[in-house]
Amino acid sequence: MKRWLYNPVLASSLKTRMRGWRTAAAVTAYLGVMLFIAYIFFKISVENGVMYYLSFSSSRSAGLRVYLMLAVLQFALILLVTPAQTAGVISSEREMQTLDLLLCTKMSPLSIIIGKLLSSLAFILLLIISSIPLFSLVFLFGGIAPEDVAMLFLFYIITAFAVGSIGIFYSALFKRTVVSTVVTYITIFFLGIVSVVLGAYMMSVHYSQVPSPTDHYIPFILYINPAVGLGDLLARQAGDPTTNVYYGILGLFFGVSRSLGSPQGWFQKLPLWIGNSAVISGIAVLLLCASAWVIRPYKRLRCKS
Amino acid sequence: MLVVRDLVKKYGDFLAVDHLNMEVERGQIFGFIGPNGAGKTTTMKIIATLLAPTSGRVVVDGIDVFKDPIKAREKIGYMPDFFGVYDNLKVKEYLDFYGSAYGIEYRERRKIAEDLLELVDLSDKKDAYVDTLSRGMKQRLCLARCLIHNPELLILDEPASGMDPRARAEIKAILKELKRMGKTILISSHILPEVAEICDSVGIIDRGKLVVQGSVEQIIQRMTGRTVVRIRVLRDMDRAISLLKEQPMVTSVIQEDQELEVACKGSDEDLWQLLRALVSSDVPVVSFRKMEGNLEQIFMEVTSDEEMAL
Ligand SMILES: Nc1ncnc2c1ncn2[C@@H]1O[C@H](COP(=O)(O)OP(=O)(O)OP(=O)(O)O)[C@@H](O)[C@H]1O
Ligand SMILES: [Mg+2]
Repeated sequence: MKRWLYNPVLASSLKTRMRGWRTAAAVTAYLGVMLFIAYIFFKISVENGVMYYLSFSSSRSAGLRVYLMLAVLQFALILLVTPAQTAGVISSEREMQTLDLLLCTKMSPLSIIIGKLLSSLAFILLLIISSIPLFSLVFLFGGIAPEDVAMLFLFYIITAFAVGSIGIFYSALFKRTVVSTVVTYITIFFLGIVSVVLGAYMMSVHYSQVPSPTDHYIPFILYINPAVGLGDLLARQAGDPTTNVYYGILGLFFGVSRSLGSPQGWFQKLPLWIGNSAVISGIAVLLLCASAWVIRPYKRLRCKS
Repeated sequence: MLVVRDLVKKYGDFLAVDHLNMEVERGQIFGFIGPNGAGKTTTMKIIATLLAPTSGRVVVDGIDVFKDPIKAREKIGYMPDFFGVYDNLKVKEYLDFYGSAYGIEYRERRKIAEDLLELVDLSDKKDAYVDTLSRGMKQRLCLARCLIHNPELLILDEPASGMDPRARAEIKAILKELKRMGKTILISSHILPEVAEICDSVGIIDRGKLVVQGSVEQIIQRMTGRTVVRIRVLRDMDRAISLLKEQPMVTSVIQEDQELEVACKGSDEDLWQLLRALVSSDVPVVSFRKMEGNLEQIFMEVTSDEEMAL
């Protein structure tokens, strides 16, 4: 069991990654950026009186706003960092001419891929953990419980897993790291935009056909977008949607759709963010298997042991 | 130990390896010689389970490489012609990493790594970062790496390329040591004389075809049908030359300073006859040396014959 869990690629990267100043500098830079943006956000909010206008009188609501801002900010940063972390892992092995050396060991292509992904996720996890002090600010205001934050962090990991597997897939597919990185960012951006636009369009078509809609309709395309899941998760955690501006923006469709009747199938009965997590994880697993298939030396010949 | 049967590799329409057959016996060093683009790397990658052939069979120690690549990998240590190293690893961590990738226990692989560093003479560099090593050191480290799982067959793709003569000599010494340890070694090079000295047999590959295979001497014999001896005489050079020219097996005599380069047909028996003729005529022979032949020239001949045939 222990041997099965042991992954040489992961073990080696965990050991060497924490060495030297690079990782420490990366974490510092990450937190610096997050603090900076949070600071700007608050400055603008206070100056424009938005905070005040949005019932700043209630400490709970203020805490909620800080939380939502940090949650979305960290989500955006993870979307930015993960491709950079993953889109080079296989292609750089190829560029360094070390991939062959790895492939002719006892490690299977899939375990190489998984080791690489877990190494990247370990780094993302480190970033997320390092942001805990920032998030604990929220507890000062109240309104958000530690388990909400834990749930959010879990969703981050799932998002990083899904986005990371896109990066790994491209890095297995393309010879050059530059190409794979660019294509990964483009894909993520494209999927993010297209899924929301297409989803909104499908919903508007659906509801315009039914004069007085009573069913609960979420187009499947929305399930591939983790931003949608994040919106749903945050909306649930924030509670009453009507007091929440944020919810009004991202959770628009879901707020509408949820207020319309009850969900139909078992999958749609699941909280949207859980369904979303399941779908993106499933896609990620497929992409990882595809990556392993791409790098395995024998493609046509059968090579069962 | 290694049997290659009818190996074919096509890249699109291009035949990189053309029905290649070869055999390497256990404990032998086999030199795989060919000019650039002959298909050496391709063949070696196929044997090392890193490339699927178009057709053909490779058997390593009774294991069909394509049916059971995972088991075959345990038997094979592969050193590619070009390879990189991770920049953030120390020498001992580098070996440790590959040891773990071969599923060797921590204690065991630490011990093996020390022994291997000893073997390739890198013990004093074990705490250095891998990317700070010189090219020759990296090459030796890579050699140590491909030995980490104690393979029986070593596939070394131009292990001495880009190294200075001393480093080459060191690599040769390591290879001889490995041979003593009972390893079978397949080593590629595009320079025949360079490996001829350590190889038990060689195969010359050109345009994907194995043109000749056999011991170095056999190849010279077969290719040129002649043996070259260098004879040094104390005096009476002219008499020696005329005497040599009378012998039926001698095809040419060239005088080079105080030495004579004599090309002759036939076997070792004929050589003895030649020497006896000289000695019995009181020619003061001080040295009589059978040459390895001009390998470079033979190599050129062998690999250009094909060109003319095409
Ligand atoms: N991936 C590939 N796609 C297409 N052709 C290839 C590929 N790899 C090798 N070749 C071709 O196969 C032939 C044999 O190449 P190979 O690398 O095996 O030669 P080599 O004997 O190792 O040469 P060298 O001495 O230069 O290392 C070459 O003509 C090369 O162009
Ligand atoms: Mg080559």
